[in-house]
Amino acid sequence: MTANANGGRHGATGPRPVLAAGARIGDTVGRFELERAWLVDPVSGREGPGEIVVADGILESIVWLEAAEAAGVTDRGVIVAPGFFDLHAHFREPGFEDAETVASGSAAAAHGGFTAVALMPNTSPAIDEPGILERIRSAARASGSPVEVLAYGAVSAGRAGEQLSAMGELADAGVLGYSDDGAPIRSPKLLRSALLYAGMLGLPVVEHAEDSDLTAGAEAHEGYVASVMGLAGWPAAAEVGAVSRDLAVLADALGDEPRARLHLTHVSTAAALDLVRRAKATGLPVTCDVTPHHLALTDEWIAGARRWGWEALGADGEPRDPWADAALTAAPYDTSLRVNPPLGTAADAAACLAALLDGTADAVATDHAPHTVVDKEVEFGSAASGISGIETALGVLLGLVDAGRLPLSRAIAALTTGPAGVVAAARRTSGISAARPRGLIEGAPADLVVFDRSDRWPVTPASLRSKGKNSPLIGRELPGRVLLTIAGGRLAYEDPNAGDEEA
Amino acid sequence: MTTAASVITAAQSAATQSATPAVAWRHRHLIDVDVVTWPEIELIMRMTDEMKGVLARPIRRVPALNGRRVTTLFYEASTRTRVSFETAARNLSADVVSVSTATSSVTKGESLVDTVRTLEALGTEILVMRHSVSGAPYLAAEVFGGHVLNGGDGWHAHPTQALLDLYTMRSHLPGGDLHGRKVAIVGDILHSRVARSNIWLLTAAGADLWLCGPATLLRGMDRWAAAWSGGAIPGHGRFNVTSDIEAALRDADVVMGLRIQRERMQSGLLPSLREYAARFQLNAERVALAKPEAIVMHPGPMNEGVEISPDVAVSGRSVITDQVANGVAVRMALLYLLAGGHEVPQGEVAR
Repeated sequence: MTANANGGRHGATGPRPVLAAGARIGDTVGRFELERAWLVDPVSGREGPGEIVVADGILESIVWLEAAEAAGVTDRGVIVAPGFFDLHAHFREPGFEDAETVASGSAAAAHGGFTAVALMPNTSPAIDEPGILERIRSAARASGSPVEVLAYGAVSAGRAGEQLSAMGELADAGVLGYSDDGAPIRSPKLLRSALLYAGMLGLPVVEHAEDSDLTAGAEAHEGYVASVMGLAGWPAAAEVGAVSRDLAVLADALGDEPRARLHLTHVSTAAALDLVRRAKATGLPVTCDVTPHHLALTDEWIAGARRWGWEALGADGEPRDPWADAALTAAPYDTSLRVNPPLGTAADAAACLAALLDGTADAVATDHAPHTVVDKEVEFGSAASGISGIETALGVLLGLVDAGRLPLSRAIAALTTGPAGVVAAARRTSGISAARPRGLIEGAPADLVVFDRSDRWPVTPASLRSKGKNSPLIGRELPGRVLLTIAGGRLAYEDPNAGDEEA
Repeated sequence: MTTAASVITAAQSAATQSATPAVAWRHRHLIDVDVVTWPEIELIMRMTDEMKGVLARPIRRVPALNGRRVTTLFYEASTRTRVSFETAARNLSADVVSVSTATSSVTKGESLVDTVRTLEALGTEILVMRHSVSGAPYLAAEVFGGHVLNGGDGWHAHPTQALLDLYTMRSHLPGGDLHGRKVAIVGDILHSRVARSNIWLLTAAGADLWLCGPATLLRGMDRWAAAWSGGAIPGHGRFNVTSDIEAALRDADVVMGLRIQRERMQSGLLPSLREYAARFQLNAERVALAKPEAIVMHPGPMNEGVEISPDVAVSGRSVITDQVANGVAVRMALLYLLAGGHEVPQGEVAR
């Protein structure tokens, strides 16, 4: 079956890509052809009109169309890209299955266009020895989803920050690296040991950079909005100081173990990104990611503003005043906006974008952090931190693309080759396809996402597959409805309206 | 609530017929003064005048809220604020239920949302709420079918306090107008909901507002002041932030002290109460920098000898007991307006 993907008009008016009737999640994709779509291949750096054929789970052919054949095919219609890889997600299993499970998280990932995820080990019990990792893999197999579920091991036993976890055994079991995410590694001495030992094993340490003395009791980014709203300020210095320390410790560890590598996750402040930029320039083996929410949302949302970060920046590069602009349209103190690190100003969001554009940030990672209503329908200062974001990441990035702030190819690279590069060292461990180059590769198992950039979809509790409905984007429409996700040659997600002529 | 309105207005011996257009009270809740327009503030002030009239009578009770159910839900101990609200509600003949953390299931881990739903199911129509977390009343308002009246939330807002402060200032300042009047608020600004609500209200009133305290207790306020410096916020003027106590007090018309809490030393924000008192206490010498006719205010409870000296607290300039008395009248006015006394013809209010 074929589909003329670029039907033309805004919205889902053309015929949709559709699989054989009755195809189920997990089934090998027997045959799928897509004519006249916009293909983006971040490995070759090529994008343009083309056609693909998937047969028996294999990406059998990619045909790039000549200009004469490609009339009307643009990068604003149906787009095919390699499946996304999320460097940072929480699926909450084991221990917090009422917030998310490996099965629900995998369904959410596939709905977001992700075919591989790297889970953080702050489960209960934490992933600090191979048995827990095996339990998660078993849940992934049982889910039937083909989304590749990978994980980091904890840096410290029980994430207590005191002794190293079973790092070698975890490496043998196939972790991507080590992290105590959710909390920083408080002891610089332990961080140094972790960098050395992980370096010996060829794996990165993934650090959540936060000085928790400065953030004790903090509720929101310290600044104008927090001051007006009476929220305890979370100083930027908490991240900047921690990143500075981490880089110093990394530089020190390299003297003893040249393979030591540091990845800083969810960097959110202009000054911390500057530190990373300079460290990279000096050749330090450091990588970092930024999140969709820090790219697009700002602290003024807590006051009730609902404009994107790039709309909240004045011509002078300073954040605009939401009170002066009468931009407050929603109820204040929405706990879905409570997140660690906190949402910054429009200037911080612009700095995250600049870092993504100049390569300081290697990847966009969602920090998908689902929470239950019980943990979120409470007072702002008592609410759990985190945003359910794996399904909205593509839409948020496409918002930046639509606004002319981010090239489409960079957005796709930040979700594919960027994160793959961060964990490339884990490639030596067999069976981890996430660490392979994430491109459109003929003859390889099909691993791709098909989305319609101009088809907006409503973010609602029902439209989110995640159990975590804690998204500040609920009630909005995002561009880029995902039509189809194929992971490792198998069906991971298909839009329920696929095939409807008038979807 | 025309019946309630007529009860009030009938009590006004000097009630007059007037064609002056009415100002509608359009708020279901009162959580902060930031959303209240100046004509609405004037409405609250006029309604407070009426309530003062009620309080001046031998029997200080009107049936305006007869049978209406008011619950005070206090997650933070504050006997004086709770008693003020409950006195106000009883003066309006409301049925009053009092819930505090010490006696409710809150201490057992019951959520705010569940508590509010339960109180609504039990018949509460107006919920007066005090909470230690900023923004908590917005959460209550989201799930509550009645009216929420904020009795103070975290560091965020204390609208009834700011309104009673404004009322007290107007009643003491010649002409009852704050335009160009210098108001100095001295103390722990950072942690003060009283200061935040007063920033909104007093800048709307046209006052020359000065916030003063040690740098550690002013954090962030300079950014706020800078953001408002160009008159960017419609209806609100600029204000000043300083650690220079003399600059703050010089030629002030109103001097307000705020409570300094001991835990500010434990959290490393102040060396000692003694040192605070030495540099910032409102004592006779410092208050003498203000205008001779300046008034001294404090939202209470006072730490006499820390933020204010005992002689200043009871001096002829002190209007602190007036604040307490006016607090009951302001809260009566707000309970009445929230309960549905929607429209008050302007001309009926004796001024």
